[in-house]
Amino acid sequence: MLEHVGPQLFNGLVLGAFYAIVAIGLSLIMNLTGTINMAHGSFMTLAGYLAFSMIARGTNFWFAFLVAPLLAVLVAIIVERTLIRPLYGRDPVYSLLLTFGLSLIAEELFHVVWGANTLPFAPPAALGGTLALGFMNFPVYRLFIVIVLVFAFGLLGLFLYRTRFGLRLRAAVQDSEMIAALGTNTQLLYTINFGLGILLAGIAGVLAVGLLGLNPTTGNTLLMPAFVTVIIGGMGSLYGSLVAGVLIGVATSLMTLYVPAASEVVIYILMAVVLTIRPRGLFGEEGLFG
Amino acid sequence: MGDKFLLEAQDVSKYFGGVHACEGVSLGVREGSIHAVIGPNGAGKTTFFNALSGFYYPDHGRVFFGGEEITRMPNWRRIERGMSRTFQTPSIFPELTVYDNVMLGVRSKAGIAFHARTPSGEQQAAHERRIDELLGFVNLVRFKERPVAELSHGSQRLCEIAMSLSTEPRLVLLDEPMAGLAESETERIISVIRGLHDRLGLTVLFVEHNMRVVLGLADRITVLDRGRILAEGTPSEIAANEAVRDAYLGKEVLEHV
Amino acid sequence: MNRRLARVTPGRIVALAALVLLALEPTLAPYIHVDVTIVSAALLFTIAALSANLLLGYTGLPPFGNAAFFGLGAYGCALSIKYLNVHFFTATIFGMLAALLGALIVAPFLVRRRGIYFGLLSIAFGQVFYFIAYRFTDVTGGEDGMAVTRPYLAISSFTLKETAFYYLSLVVFILSILAFKAIVQSPFGRTLVAIRQNEVRVRYLGLDSNRFVFVAILISALFAGLSGALSALLNGFIAPLQLDWHQSGDFVLATILGGSGTVWGPLIGSIIFVIGRDIISTITPYWQIFIGALFVACVLGFPRGILGTILARFGAAPLSNEPEEANWTQSPAIAVDHHG
Repeated sequence: MLEHVGPQLFNGLVLGAFYAIVAIGLSLIMNLTGTINMAHGSFMTLAGYLAFSMIARGTNFWFAFLVAPLLAVLVAIIVERTLIRPLYGRDPVYSLLLTFGLSLIAEELFHVVWGANTLPFAPPAALGGTLALGFMNFPVYRLFIVIVLVFAFGLLGLFLYRTRFGLRLRAAVQDSEMIAALGTNTQLLYTINFGLGILLAGIAGVLAVGLLGLNPTTGNTLLMPAFVTVIIGGMGSLYGSLVAGVLIGVATSLMTLYVPAASEVVIYILMAVVLTIRPRGLFGEEGLFG
Repeated sequence: MGDKFLLEAQDVSKYFGGVHACEGVSLGVREGSIHAVIGPNGAGKTTFFNALSGFYYPDHGRVFFGGEEITRMPNWRRIERGMSRTFQTPSIFPELTVYDNVMLGVRSKAGIAFHARTPSGEQQAAHERRIDELLGFVNLVRFKERPVAELSHGSQRLCEIAMSLSTEPRLVLLDEPMAGLAESETERIISVIRGLHDRLGLTVLFVEHNMRVVLGLADRITVLDRGRILAEGTPSEIAANEAVRDAYLGKEVLEHV
Repeated sequence: MNRRLARVTPGRIVALAALVLLALEPTLAPYIHVDVTIVSAALLFTIAALSANLLLGYTGLPPFGNAAFFGLGAYGCALSIKYLNVHFFTATIFGMLAALLGALIVAPFLVRRRGIYFGLLSIAFGQVFYFIAYRFTDVTGGEDGMAVTRPYLAISSFTLKETAFYYLSLVVFILSILAFKAIVQSPFGRTLVAIRQNEVRVRYLGLDSNRFVFVAILISALFAGLSGALSALLNGFIAPLQLDWHQSGDFVLATILGGSGTVWGPLIGSIIFVIGRDIISTITPYWQIFIGALFVACVLGFPRGILGTILARFGAAPLSNEPEEANWTQSPAIAVDHHG
């Protein structure tokens, strides 16, 4: 059994990185405007489908991989400006319901355009096969995923903590009114923030379809675990989402090895345990929604 | 109950992310007195109030009420013990009428707020008399049926005071009762506060900025500055205190008092 | 007290008219092409919507875990028939007890949360029950669901046919809505409304708001469980998907569409939702787009819902205070002129 643990741990890491990046995207959107984006999974799936269609038309994988998330962001910006903006300042229940409705529409639209069946989406040959590193063989595609996601986290961290814009974003999370009073265009900030969250979702989406397959509900299977990640990590803490994501990714993976029937519920059990010990989540901040 | 304190804070401290909002604040409120807590903005007055009333618990120190330690007692239980409080922005039920606003506290005191059965005609009549009594004290009876959202800020404040009386407290904490009021409304609140003490025999602890009001109303004043106690004493002692003048009052203000 | 019961208000007339219509539905069915089964489903759906309404419209909490209570009701009922061979009403009671049990397990975790924490947590716990139903294939039939044979009524040895079942649903519905009304108009219910508007002030009036929330969750679970149990008996079938939180979303939509915070809103919303979905799904397989669009339209344009908007238009008291619910401000003592 032990020789399986290594690969499962790695799989857990990959899964965890996915949960983390989706959770961070959700968190970014939630922290700034209190919007609960139930359509986050839909944007992931959208990016996947767009990439698929581009590749089907002969586009280079790498090009599609870069452009698809950006197209998803474009759609997101339109959605944010028209549908989500009116809800700022209102009870989060409304944004939850609205984005839930959007996810229903999206799922059906995917069905209409691309069909209900899982589409074949194979990563390019360059990313196929396995790589022997030390004591284990690593599937190249999964290595690729980890590298891309780590890179994405790094860039995000740099953006948030080393640029002026990132500073403004973090300041706005603390106090939107103050920032507005100081002359920042908060509406623009909200839109860009939303776009940023969706960009992360889009990247995750394009990567995920190589692992999970591409069908109208692909993104949604990552959504609930992502929310659980946010809760466990603590609302308001991006770092918490990162840690929690890896934690539950590994836990789920190991559970698949030992007690497969419980692998889906282990994240909820973890959540119950964490919340009982630390009601705010691992790194949660006081007073945010709770 | 002569020289025992009704409310006592011992060395109360509260920190937020490393910054002390109040530190080592000790204070005793004698039963039957009107006690004011003053200080410049950011002096930690509301934080202190929140710790006293159980909005959150202090990081350090202890709080006693009627001799009983209540440091970590849930806020709703403090109300049962005889404390009550108003907030800087009137904390009322915005979608209900004035009548309904006061009704909940009356029902709470009567112990029927949790009941599934509607009160009997007799009970209901008794409650209504009580509501009329409470609204009469703050002179809001004529607004009884009005949605509270339609009332002026000052009247909402009065409604809140009536609500805080509905649980038959021994001590009323008023957090900046004059905040946001027009000059004309201030007089009304002052007379109501005085009435709490003179007519109802309640102990009052209030936070306030307005020196004129404080010096005229309070028996005893505690001055906070940057989270710590600066001075405490009678109005004349405080008015004469150099440190208080420097930290908080301009000389001109005092001369007008 | 008697005066209140005898009072004739526009609301009551409409409600009575609606009930008469519903009572006549079996005879009207062939003419309006809406058969009894679907209206039964709508009435049972309303009971679940009421459960969501209690939490959302009255207490101010997002009730996205109610599908779990619905499903527990359904499975509790079905499993009790399968393993214990009980009769109709007992099976329904078993369903409600199962839902109540689920609520007792989950409520302690939920009770201190508010807002989105509450919502996400309730979804999460709902998903646990969903996965359990999914995985325990031996017991629950897993993904394919399980068939439910309609058992005998305890008092006789015949099973209800469709029309009879419809009347049963109608009676249960009427009882449910009367119970709901009694609850929200009781002191307990009024405190829930106050919690929704200003929980801090409720606590500073000496009330432990968490206690109220706890009981509200239990009551909500009972309503949802009842709905689930009877739905299982109606359809003769249940599947894990009925526990999925998307189902909760449907209950919430029906509530908001009809008017959250009102007693009759959920009925309006449920009828529109259930019958509308049925009609649209015969027209196009892509009916989900319309459901989604309905969510969006409702939230953006209609947050008060149909009944809520009507009540507001006629200058009635704000959302949580229905016109007929003026019993706090309309009682004999007020006859005294207190103006001035």
